[in-house]
Amino acid sequence: MTDQENNETIGQNAGLGMSGGGKVVPMQNDPTAATRKDTWEEDGFTVVRGNARTAPGCHDNCGILMYIDKDGKLDHVEGDPDDPYNQGRLCLRCLTLPDVVYHKDRQLHPLKRDRADRGKDKWEQITWEEAYEICERELRAVQEKYGPQAIQVFCGTGRDIVGYHPMLANILDTPNQGMGFLSGQGCYVPRMFSTTMKIGNLYTGDYSQNWIDRYDNPNWVRPDYVVIWGNNPVVANSDGTLGHWIVECMKRGTKLITIDPKLTWCAAHSEYWLQVRPGTDSALALAMAHVIVEEDLYDHEFVDCWCYGFEEYQEHIKDWTPTRVAEICDIDEDLIWSAARALGNADGWALQWGVALDHTAEGFYSGASCYDLCALCGQFDKPGGMVCGKPSFGVPVTWIGSDTDWIPTKRNQYEHLHGDYPALRVIGMPSPDATLEALEGKYDYPVKAAWLQTNNCLANMGAQPQRIAKGLMEDDFNVVMDLWMTPTAMAVADVFLPVTTFPERFGLTGHQPYRTGAINKAIDTIGECRSDPQVVVEMGRIFKGADLFPWSDGEHFDEEAFYDYLLRNSGFTWDDLKSRTWAYPEMKYYRYKTGEIRDDGEPGFSTPTGRYEFYSVNLEAMGMRPLAFYEEPPESPISRPDLLEKYPLTLTTGARQWGFFHSEGRQVPHLRAIHPEPEVTIHPADAEKYGIADGDWVIIENQYGSCKQKAKIDIRIKQGVVSADHGWWFPERDREDGFFGTFESNINNCIPMRPGSTGLGCSYKSVLCSIRKA
Amino acid sequence: MKKAILIDYKYCTGCHTCEVACQKHLGLEPDKWGIKLTQIGPDEVAPRQWQYEFVPVPTDRCNRCADRLERGKQAMCAQHCQAGCLWVGDIDELVGRIDGDKFALFV
Repeated sequence: MTDQENNETIGQNAGLGMSGGGKVVPMQNDPTAATRKDTWEEDGFTVVRGNARTAPGCHDNCGILMYIDKDGKLDHVEGDPDDPYNQGRLCLRCLTLPDVVYHKDRQLHPLKRDRADRGKDKWEQITWEEAYEICERELRAVQEKYGPQAIQVFCGTGRDIVGYHPMLANILDTPNQGMGFLSGQGCYVPRMFSTTMKIGNLYTGDYSQNWIDRYDNPNWVRPDYVVIWGNNPVVANSDGTLGHWIVECMKRGTKLITIDPKLTWCAAHSEYWLQVRPGTDSALALAMAHVIVEEDLYDHEFVDCWCYGFEEYQEHIKDWTPTRVAEICDIDEDLIWSAARALGNADGWALQWGVALDHTAEGFYSGASCYDLCALCGQFDKPGGMVCGKPSFGVPVTWIGSDTDWIPTKRNQYEHLHGDYPALRVIGMPSPDATLEALEGKYDYPVKAAWLQTNNCLANMGAQPQRIAKGLMEDDFNVVMDLWMTPTAMAVADVFLPVTTFPERFGLTGHQPYRTGAINKAIDTIGECRSDPQVVVEMGRIFKGADLFPWSDGEHFDEEAFYDYLLRNSGFTWDDLKSRTWAYPEMKYYRYKTGEIRDDGEPGFSTPTGRYEFYSVNLEAMGMRPLAFYEEPPESPISRPDLLEKYPLTLTTGARQWGFFHSEGRQVPHLRAIHPEPEVTIHPADAEKYGIADGDWVIIENQYGSCKQKAKIDIRIKQGVVSADHGWWFPERDREDGFFGTFESNINNCIPMRPGSTGLGCSYKSVLCSIRKA
Repeated sequence: MKKAILIDYKYCTGCHTCEVACQKHLGLEPDKWGIKLTQIGPDEVAPRQWQYEFVPVPTDRCNRCADRLERGKQAMCAQHCQAGCLWVGDIDELVGRIDGDKFALFV
């Protein structure tokens, strides 16, 4: 079996991207659907009801009302009070949407630049026709000279692209598609893959979001506890979870347990706050499991009937005593006992995990260690516990998966750029870390072109970004598609493609498995912008011919026909969806008992044993450790005492900020005003030690590099740890001034491009550093 | 009589949505507010018990969204409040909502 086939088999077992066994999933009763309008007149405005997705980027799909004036201009927006998802609420990112749509800096036309002028402001406006001609010419040249695998298809997050980029990879015949230059594919992929190996599907906390009548639904039970682990949900709203759903649960009696080096609002409102040292999460999970097993608080029925490998697991966690782990995590031991007992004695509890779990080198196993706790307590598929996240109505592009069967491809003929890492071999994704080494000639694989869509890697997620810039500036061809001239586009693009904002386009919701909704077009397209999926489909016409389109004559992009095609197995049409704006699939709990999880209709989970695997048979078969374990981060006060004299502090990065979405939002005045400068949070004791006052500019430095951020002295951060912003660039500066000054405050200068042993996991939240006044 | 604002500040997460919703509705620049967050703490008032809270305070620019309330809509800040912990309305009605220990009523 090739890696690709192997990956597909595992993907199918895992339920990733399947169509729900070919059966049409019934809708939940929706009392207002028949009378719900998608547009109406109100106080001199035309109102268009839609879903807020994308661009700009976001991990959610809030219901939005767009108010269009008589000139066809988006005047303002409001949350949709009828929409169960957000119930009328909207955050400041949507409330400032018109400022993004009509921003003077938005790029409205395709641009080209001579390869010799990369990094210089020497752009020339071109037509889409010419842009596509250049893309075709250059990408075909790369395909012919080096093979299609030399083209890297890289996305970022939060824009409507994750479901569509596998189509583009098929179209370009390249096996290399993923989150380019995010070390260790370190966002959700490590957690998702390791836990999928254990249980076969992805499960998320049950905050009633699967029910159309939400908190009032009689089948739903509020969680006794929400365990907020390495996440600040009210700010981050990550992965299709609107953080304030948890606040609604709190009003209904839910208590919190928060595991975070920083006193977040959630931490301050928790029954237990465990202020762990960054990167030690797995150790804590193993110790909590130790308590739950030792005190016999685990769910015997679930463990006996539905789990595999408990004996090995029980033996494995014996040594992970709270005494030992309290020292590793640098917390009081009694908190481990108390928090574990609370979970062992709770009825339902939900794990609200965050990207911090992925952001330590062996982060591949952090999420798995947390899932083991959920399994011990029998929380899967349980009301107020963890609910199964299969693609809503079996439409894979809306969650994790892609609808690619209709696109003929040769991509499977080429070995992908896995960097010899075992997890990446299997999962079929390229290693961003090995990709960089290949660009630098240190790893033998051709990397000659990059297609960067929703990807501002130089400002945002790329570790050691100056290495990445140098590498990409020397390859043969780069395309960037974005709203703005970003630092990444400015540095490396030969062709720039302008993307629409969501009021300018149609589409399907995504990044969540709860429901399917319509992105509704409310205004005419501005300039010559096109949506992300449109460009993917048009590249298909160019590279695979007009015959590619099962739904139209192939002469032009018929947006609505395309989405109708993607909904072909859902039981409803694009028109149905557009007029109702959202549709919720039938929701049930305990589906593993009734044979509604596995493709073969048997009870159990989609794993080789049909059970939740404490001991993962698949991981073992792939040469990886079958049980979740803890390992010190490669650079920590424990693993590298030799570095402490020079770099005495632990550095954690990327805490989310109100109003920004990663590197987005810096040019929106009302958002920027809330957080005007890049900030590093320092404990008062550390600030005093290193002579730093609140508001000082500070140099953060380690063996990888340095950057400059402004000190925020705050007792909220753990002593000995500094927490630095990510994603900063300065759109107000000159384009040629260090690509909007993006390396000046870029904390990724201090983060290595180096994954964990599996190829997944990274070090964004656990390295060492020093600080000094600038 | 001018409407009142009630905040259940036990649940205010400090998300700034009320500030920006108001600024956009009243056409205010980022340095002017119709409602503005204030922060309490973080203060460890007893061992492992933290007070870290936010209370939005209306300014003299706040007109209680008279135009919206007239049309049967909620005030901008109240509708968009992420935590659902802010209401604008008649004092009597708002007083009836007070069922906890951390409420602030602005009249």
